[in-house]
Amino acid sequence: MKNVLYTLFAISISLLLGKLAHHLLAGLPASLYGMVIYALFLQLNWFSAKKVTATNQWLVRHMGVCFVPAGVGVINHFQLIQEHGVALIAIIFSSTFILLTVIGYLSERLLTKQVPNDDNSSMSQK
Amino acid sequence: MLTRLLIDYPVLASITIILITVASYQLAASQQQKWQTIWLNPMLITIALLVPLLLFFDINYQQYSQATYVLNLMLEPAIVALGFPLYQQLRQIKFHWREIMSILTLGIIVVITVSFIMAMIFIKAPEIAIALSLKSVTTPIGITLTEQLSGDSSITTFAILIAGLFGGLLGPAWLSFIGVNSAKAQGLAIGSASHAIGTAVLVRVSAEHGAYSSVALILSALLTALISPWLIPLLQQLFS
Repeated sequence: MKNVLYTLFAISISLLLGKLAHHLLAGLPASLYGMVIYALFLQLNWFSAKKVTATNQWLVRHMGVCFVPAGVGVINHFQLIQEHGVALIAIIFSSTFILLTVIGYLSERLLTKQVPNDDNSSMSQK
Repeated sequence: MLTRLLIDYPVLASITIILITVASYQLAASQQQKWQTIWLNPMLITIALLVPLLLFFDINYQQYSQATYVLNLMLEPAIVALGFPLYQQLRQIKFHWREIMSILTLGIIVVITVSFIMAMIFIKAPEIAIALSLKSVTTPIGITLTEQLSGDSSITTFAILIAGLFGGLLGPAWLSFIGVNSAKAQGLAIGSASHAIGTAVLVRVSAEHGAYSSVALILSALLTALISPWLIPLLQQLFS
């Protein structure tokens, strides 16, 4: 239970700092700044990775449910679909698959170098 | 009936609607684990169940979105939580930094160009073409950029959602089919094509998938914001 609260606290702090960063710098949305700040604080050992592991894994496994309200938003777009339906969906579909293919194919070929194994960093690989 | 309930007892109705949402999500998630098929994706099943339900009870989207405000409130912290898998892979990612940046930059230029040109050919409306070319980023960025470039942001919202669902559901199978099997490559591809929705699906596969998807999610938001303001006007000149 203590670790659950610790994780929620760590995430809230990161999100608040993310909101501040968004306010000052604009650019990315607050939640993405928050994500970077959270990763950074874990890396710097300001937040304990060991304490957040369990709760964080649970959160990430179930985060999909938070997207449902946005997804149900398609009912706002029925008229749009009626007007341009087929062309619209076809363009979204094909360009998404072109992007997946380009990035997937290049990454598969270019990210093959192995990371050299000098363990000076504080990161523990599991 | 439910509509009256929503007006008379907002809190009770809100709890009921959240319970329906979470319960159908959990049910689909447990079934998906049992049957291992993409079509039982909990997000997709829950949306497919709720849309007819709302239409049947004559609940409009605004009422639904007010009732599920709590879920929406949890969206931001959930995205922040993706910082953990990101941290776990930080060393790997730093090592491949240059390759990742170049691949994503190229990918974004390709997707903006292809979407814009296809939309101009088949729909012939610049405001829709702008909206469609900005669909591979997370929603707040997509909407802001579309409005800056005077596109139609309601189309962006819709396109971002559909791109997220397509990539999240079919992306892993498609990538395996074309021989892209590493967690790094699958993560980068789905994170950049399907942003947070794709990442939410992929993070269940492995932490490494989730980490690379999160990196792509952040970097494509950033790169799209840098690239689109000069690339889209350039493309518009092609068709004027």
